[in-house]
Amino acid sequence: MNRSAIRAVARLEIAEVMRSRALAFSIAAYLTLAAIFLLVGMRESSILGFTGMGRVLMSFTHALLLVLPLVGLAATGQLLPSVRADGALELWFSQPLGRTSWFTAVSLVRLGALLVPLLVLMPALALYGRLAFGQPIPWAFLARSLAVAGVTLWCSVALGLLVSVHSRSRARALMGLLAVWALGVALLDFGLIGLMLQMRLPPALAFTLAGINPIEAARLALLSAADPELSVLGPVGFFLANRLGTHWLLVLGLGWPLVLGALAWCTALFRFQRGDLT
Amino acid sequence: MEIEIDRVARRFGPLRALDGVSATIRSGEHVALIGPNGAGKSTLLRVVLGLLRPDTGSVRLDGRCPLRERVAVMRQLAYVPQIAPQLAASVDEVVAAICALRGLQPDAIARTARGFDLELDPIADRPVRALSGGMRQKLLVSIALASRPRLLVLDEPTASLDVASRRAFFEQLERLPDRPTVLLCSHRFEEIRHIVDRVLALEGGRVVYDGDAAAYLRRYAQVVLEVRVREDAEVCAWLRTHGFRPQAAGWWTRPLEAGERVSLIAELTQRHRDALLDLTLHEVESIDPAQAMQPHSDSRPSGPRQHPQATGSLVGKDGP
Repeated sequence: MNRSAIRAVARLEIAEVMRSRALAFSIAAYLTLAAIFLLVGMRESSILGFTGMGRVLMSFTHALLLVLPLVGLAATGQLLPSVRADGALELWFSQPLGRTSWFTAVSLVRLGALLVPLLVLMPALALYGRLAFGQPIPWAFLARSLAVAGVTLWCSVALGLLVSVHSRSRARALMGLLAVWALGVALLDFGLIGLMLQMRLPPALAFTLAGINPIEAARLALLSAADPELSVLGPVGFFLANRLGTHWLLVLGLGWPLVLGALAWCTALFRFQRGDLT
Repeated sequence: MEIEIDRVARRFGPLRALDGVSATIRSGEHVALIGPNGAGKSTLLRVVLGLLRPDTGSVRLDGRCPLRERVAVMRQLAYVPQIAPQLAASVDEVVAAICALRGLQPDAIARTARGFDLELDPIADRPVRALSGGMRQKLLVSIALASRPRLLVLDEPTASLDVASRRAFFEQLERLPDRPTVLLCSHRFEEIRHIVDRVLALEGGRVVYDGDAAAYLRRYAQVVLEVRVREDAEVCAWLRTHGFRPQAAGWWTRPLEAGERVSLIAELTQRHRDALLDLTLHEVESIDPAQAMQPHSDSRPSGPRQHPQATGSLVGKDGP
C-alpha cells in the first residue's frame, strides 16, 4: 500500500464524489430529517426519557439508522460495476497503482463523504439548541449519536463494497444492496417478533437473527442510554441489557457493526485483489 | 520492453476468448493485434495489462508478471483505451492525479497536448466528461506519450481523432526516445501502416498469422472510395451502374482496384460536380464481413482471409 498513491486517488475520488448526485441526496436527506426532528422535537414532552436537545438527537439518530444503511449501500454498492462500465477502472489500473491503494482510497473517501456532513450537522444541531432555545448541549449523548452513526455508516459502506465486488452489472448490484438493506430493516427486533409470531419461528432463531443484525446492534447502542425497558429496547435489547448491562450493550452495539464492517471490507478487498479489473 | 506471452488461455463462461496464445515481442518492436470482432484482441491486450487473469499460461513484461508486480510494470507502460472514460473530475484534477502516480510534471502533458492542438489551460476546470470524444482522446494520448513509456499499449488510439491529430500522433510516436515497444489493437489500416512492423492476427482466440506487416498490408489492404451526394436520380443511377453501394446519410461506397482509381474519381468529379458533397478514400481490410463472422473451425483460414505464407507464418495445429 502506497500512501502517495492513496492520496492521489483520494483527491480525484473527492472530486468525483463532490460532483455526484448521491452526495447531494444524502446531505438533503440528513437536513430534512434534522429539520423535521428539530421542529417537532423541541416541544415540552419527553421521548424515552429524553427531553429537549437530547430528545431531538435521539429521534434524529434513530431515524438515521434506517437512512444511513441505505445511503451507505447506495454510495458503494454500484461502484465497481460503474467504474468497470465507463472504463475508469481500466484507465486507473494502467497507471502505477496497486489494487489495495485504490480500494483503500475509494473506501475512505466514500465513507468520509457520508460521515463528514453528519459530523458537522449533529454538533450544529446541538449548538443551535443552545443558542436558540437555551438548551444545554448533551455532550455525552452527542458523542454516542456520532459513534452510532459512524459505525452504522462504516458497516453499510463495507457491505456495499462487498456487494459491489460480487456484481458484474449495476442492475445486479442494485438488487443486491436493496436485499441487504431490506434484510437489515426486516431483522430489527420489533419487526422480527411480528414475523416470529406469524411464522412460528423458534425464539432462539429470532433473537439470533436480530442480534447479528448490525442495524439492530447500532440501535441498541443508541438506546442503551435510555431506561432499560422492554417497550423501549425491544425483546432482544431488553434481554441483552438485562444479561450484559447497559455498558456492555453499548460496547456490543458499537463493536459488532465495526467488526462486521471490517470483515466485509477485508473480504471485499480480498475478492477485488484476485478478480478481473474489466 | 520485451513481452512474452506463453500459452495464454481465457474463457468467459462457455466462450473461449483466448486459446493457448503464445508470442514473443522483442523490445522496440511495433506489433499490431488484428482480427475480426470476438477474435480475442481486447482480451489479450487486457491480459498483457494485468487487468484480466489468464485461466492458464502467463505473460511476462521484461520478465515481470503484470499481476504480481503491477506497480513496477505499470511505471514503464502507458495505455490508450479506445474510448476515454467519462470522468466527473476536471481535466486539471485528472492530470494532477496521473502526474502524482507517475511522477510526471503537468507541463510535460500540456506540451504534448499542444502538439494535438489541445490547450489544457482553458479546459482545466471542465469535467472530463464534458469534453468532446476527440478532446478526451487527445488528452489520454498526450498523457500516454508524455509518460515516455517503454511499452505503449494502444487500443484503436486514433479512432476519435481528426486527420491532423492522427498525423500528429504518428509523428509524436516516431519521436519518442528509445523506441518503445508498441502493442496496437486496431482495425484501421492507416494506423497499422504508420505504426507497426509486425502483425499478429487472431481468430477464435488463436494466432492465425504472425509476420511482417508490410506483406500483410500488401495482401489485405483494400482502398474504398466513399462519396456523399445530393439526392438525385441520375447521380444515384450512375453510382449504381459503376458499382457503388448506398449507405446511410447519402453516402455511397465502392472498393477500388489499383488501376482504376484516377479514372473513376476523375469521371465522377467531372460528371457530377454539382451533386458531389464529399469524397474520401481510405483503406480497410479486404475481408468479406460474412466470412469474418463465421465461427473459427480451423486454424488455417480460407479464401480472402488466407494469410500470406511467403513472409509471415501460419500458426496453428496444421500450420507449418
